[in-house]
Amino acid sequence: MLDLLFDPSFFASVPRFVTPILLAALGGALCERAGVFNIALEGFLLAGAFAAVLGSWFAGSAYAGALAAMIGGVLMGLVFAEFNLRRGGDAIVVSIAINLLAAGLTTYLLRAIFNVTGAFNDAGIVGFKAIHLPGIAAIPFLGPLLSGQTILFYVALAMVPLLHMFFARHRLGLRMRAAGENPAALQAGGVSPRRVQLWALVGCGALCGLGGAQLSIANVNLFVENMSAGRGWIAVVAVLLTRGRPWPLFAIAVIFGVVDSLSFRVQGLGMPQQFTDMMPYLATLIVLTALSWWRRRSAQ
Amino acid sequence: MKLGDGIFAREVVPWLAVVFWIAVVLFVLVELVSSDFGAAVQGFMQGAFGGRRFAYLMTTLSRAALITGMALSVMLSFRAGLFNIGGEGQLVAGGLVAALVAVLVPGPPLLILALSILAAMAAGAAWALLAGALQLYVGVPLLVGSLLLNYPIRYIASYLVAHPYRDVASGMVQSHLVPQATWLPYFPGTRLDIGILFIVVAAIFAVAYSHTTVHGYQSRMNGLSPDFARTVGLPVNRLALQTLAMSGAIAGLVGAIAVFGIHHRYIDGMLVQPLYAWTGIIAVLLVGMIPWLVPLSGLFFAAIQTGAAGMERTAGVPKEIALVVQAVIILLVASRVSGALLSSSDRKAGGSGDA
Amino acid sequence: MHAALHDIRVTFGSLTAVDGVSIDIEAGGIHAIVGENGAGKSTLMNVLFGLVKPDAGRIEIDGEPRGWASPQEAIASGLGMVHQHFMLQDEMTVLENIVLCAEPISRFGFVDFSGARRKLAQGFSEHGIAIDLDAVVGQLAVGQRQVVEILKMLYRDARLLILDEPTAVLTPQEKDRLFAILRSFAAAGKSVVIITHKLDEVMEIADHVSVMRGGRLISSGLLGETSKERIAREIIGGDLPPPLKPQPREPGAVVLSVANLTVASRAGHVGPLSFEVRAGEIVGIAGVSGNGQAELVQALTGLRKPAGGTILLAGRDVAALDVAGRRHAGMSYIPEDRQRMGLALGATVAENANAGREDRAGFAAGPFLRRRAMADFARDLIRRYNIRVGGPAARASTMSGGNKQKLVVGRELTRATPLIVAENPTWGVDIGAIDFIHGELMRMRDAGHAVLLVSTELDEVMALSDRILVMFEGTIAGEVSGGEATRERLGSLMTSRTGARAA
Repeated sequence: MLDLLFDPSFFASVPRFVTPILLAALGGALCERAGVFNIALEGFLLAGAFAAVLGSWFAGSAYAGALAAMIGGVLMGLVFAEFNLRRGGDAIVVSIAINLLAAGLTTYLLRAIFNVTGAFNDAGIVGFKAIHLPGIAAIPFLGPLLSGQTILFYVALAMVPLLHMFFARHRLGLRMRAAGENPAALQAGGVSPRRVQLWALVGCGALCGLGGAQLSIANVNLFVENMSAGRGWIAVVAVLLTRGRPWPLFAIAVIFGVVDSLSFRVQGLGMPQQFTDMMPYLATLIVLTALSWWRRRSAQ
Repeated sequence: MKLGDGIFAREVVPWLAVVFWIAVVLFVLVELVSSDFGAAVQGFMQGAFGGRRFAYLMTTLSRAALITGMALSVMLSFRAGLFNIGGEGQLVAGGLVAALVAVLVPGPPLLILALSILAAMAAGAAWALLAGALQLYVGVPLLVGSLLLNYPIRYIASYLVAHPYRDVASGMVQSHLVPQATWLPYFPGTRLDIGILFIVVAAIFAVAYSHTTVHGYQSRMNGLSPDFARTVGLPVNRLALQTLAMSGAIAGLVGAIAVFGIHHRYIDGMLVQPLYAWTGIIAVLLVGMIPWLVPLSGLFFAAIQTGAAGMERTAGVPKEIALVVQAVIILLVASRVSGALLSSSDRKAGGSGDA
Repeated sequence: MHAALHDIRVTFGSLTAVDGVSIDIEAGGIHAIVGENGAGKSTLMNVLFGLVKPDAGRIEIDGEPRGWASPQEAIASGLGMVHQHFMLQDEMTVLENIVLCAEPISRFGFVDFSGARRKLAQGFSEHGIAIDLDAVVGQLAVGQRQVVEILKMLYRDARLLILDEPTAVLTPQEKDRLFAILRSFAAAGKSVVIITHKLDEVMEIADHVSVMRGGRLISSGLLGETSKERIAREIIGGDLPPPLKPQPREPGAVVLSVANLTVASRAGHVGPLSFEVRAGEIVGIAGVSGNGQAELVQALTGLRKPAGGTILLAGRDVAALDVAGRRHAGMSYIPEDRQRMGLALGATVAENANAGREDRAGFAAGPFLRRRAMADFARDLIRRYNIRVGGPAARASTMSGGNKQKLVVGRELTRATPLIVAENPTWGVDIGAIDFIHGELMRMRDAGHAVLLVSTELDEVMALSDRILVMFEGTIAGEVSGGEATRERLGSLMTSRTGARAA
């Protein structure tokens, strides 16, 4: 059974599960470092997934879908900014509301626009094609992992060092870290923390939107109600665990992506569906517990 | 019109603005499905408050009871500064245990009913305590731990009524019916079960607890300032665990009421689909945790949900409009409830528990 | 840069913070503005810096009338201010902190760090400053953190620097280093303004002195033309009140006995500490903030587990007890942080007053609260401790700092426990409340209680204590009896690890 699990196609499938979590988590990292306690990543992802299908179907191109996804995510980010930054609503309350909003709105629009319930599966949805890199594909084990993925995966990979550099050396990145750590000091220096946090939310929306696009026009070519299926929450946990640092985030996202992919495979082996559905959450809980325990032990 | 600085400007106008924006959102959404706005409104009113012999009103009240129950559960936790958003899991644990105990344990009906309800409350309390233990002894923030725990229990319950305890003959994914003699009776002349009375009792308990007991007072102090509570020697860990247990017990009670009063069995998804727990949370947020307003808030959101179902029946407007409206309401009032709810600054780290 | 303020008036509601003050700040000199807490010195300088808009009056810079819409404009015009509470990002490096909000940019918005380094290197050599630009600010000592703040001003080419209570948190050595830097600035033609209430330092460093009291300018002129006594009298507005003289008492039995106490801390560990406090005496722990006092207090009160050693309270080992247990065993604690630890600001006065009460019967009947009894108890505290507040049902957040502190003090002292731990009990509190609280602590001592006073205010420690222990770098550097304590003796102990016990 073990080789059934770990054949090369398993490696090929892992990036498909890592990408949405990684993109959402990187978006969450922007918010975390900037001091915005955004736990609405689930809603952002879902909005992005739906917007991707909208864009792709109406414009007939996957890139249009990706663009639409980013716009959808950014719109959610702006809603968050309006009610949290500008009006002072608590971030947790706003997050809960946005998650509900995304769930309700996407399902509603699914029926209003496409006249279907449950799922929208149409030939008009144009998805991303796999990109084959012949040189890399030849490498054992890593080959199928790195080659033959959609462009969103490579974008996600590139974002990790980019975000790292952004925080370390870019003016806006520096100011975001300041806003998250000591906003009063930043304000005293003449820069509005809120303005900086707004940019963080916009960036988060864009990245989560792309993550959603991976779900609906890359992994598959359809939209299902509540498609994000908890990945946003997993991203939230990843961000909290790593405090928004890009490279540790990458590691955690990979772990979760592998587990997600595993549970998907295991389903084909006759385990009751409920157990495989449960696996990502259980795994997240276990990882969280283990890491928290370890952190406590080493602090003493 | 100069509004000036008075009571009108400060209190009434913001609520009018909320109503205005809700109306705008509703209008836009209904137009999107090119529906007759008037018919939609009528369908809403019928769905929430009307029906043949007020059947729909009964449904609204019944749902309001469950939402209010969940709201009370959440309120106890939030007021104590505990970010317990695992109500859904505690609710499911309670409902599942209630149904299984009633189905499996033989005995006189009244005894079984009492036993099931107590077992349900214990199950809910245990599930909440699990999240609490994770925070206190391991350091997993309550917010994240309680949320994540919602999922395993949901799937375990689903599995149990899909395989070992399934009522196969019925053809649906559900448990067997609980003994008829344990079904909660209806109010005479209506189809509303007396489960709502349990909620009333729970509400009275919650209010009395919060304002008249030492435990409630200490919990509240801890909610307002955990640093203060620790400095002054309040037993913060014990308070946290006991409060979580109470929250979970109430959620479990709600689950039992849903089983014995409405569905008479555990049906897969019956407690999760209607979003009772999340609605309970936003119902509490809407009224800033003022206890006596919570039942009204529960009724309000229940009406929105059943009204939306009515709108779908008569005017074809998808019932998810209810979710959108509820979310928009919370967004609009979010800034007003912030101060009351969330003074604790170490909610992110999930503070309490370090000596 | 020559700055002149004319007829500045600032009111906050019904309070007049600055009342028609005109002051001249010369270029190339060090100007000290002195006065007690609440005299209006900080507010006046906040006006100059653009943080506060005056109700009346005007500002002139180099002869030109100026006004700022925000501190940013003031900074752009060449002003700089170092506040009492540093505005630093602890997790960023020194260099990042310095350039933040004034970052030099190269392409695409990336920061040109090497350019900044070059510019700073110049300032270093000119003024004799040495600091590791890549050190993380959170790990620096307080004196170094202040240097970072000063470098921020230097980097922005400030010509007039304002420092608000700069020596409050410095060791004597750090203070010397600071003064050397300030003199170098003055010699280079910059104007330096120091806001302070420490007369000795004024005498040491200032060229000009302005005295403020109650929002008014009392005097302003060259240091050489006045004297220390005259300044002191102007600050207080009369003669100094006779200092509180503790009545000599024979201390009684040992109440608190600490032996070889060690506590883990961020910098390693604090201790081993050994000392005793007897009934009827006040033992003061002096020292600059950050030398282990906080860890000691936390270990004593039960807020932090000690790593080793014993704590005996009235002969009983309490090291294993939690906070509630120790309070029950006979300890009360007045915390330094009244906003977060001393009170629950969102709760009412009555709720705050009754929290942590020992006698449950006094406020509860079984599991239920006795609200009337709670209100009566609060009313009693309000009366006895002269707390100005609306009533027991008023929210704690409505009180002023001094009254908040009096509530905390009252609540703790009423418990009349054998041991009282007071941590910076008069920090940030007005004079009237300071005197009152000091009086109360003395009363407890005279009545036979044991008081452990941990304070970073040397004057407070010296005025109240029968015995003074000085902490430095996590250990007790030395002990001095109250009658023989002088600032010099204590100051030297505060900077050295090997202080001999005074006779």
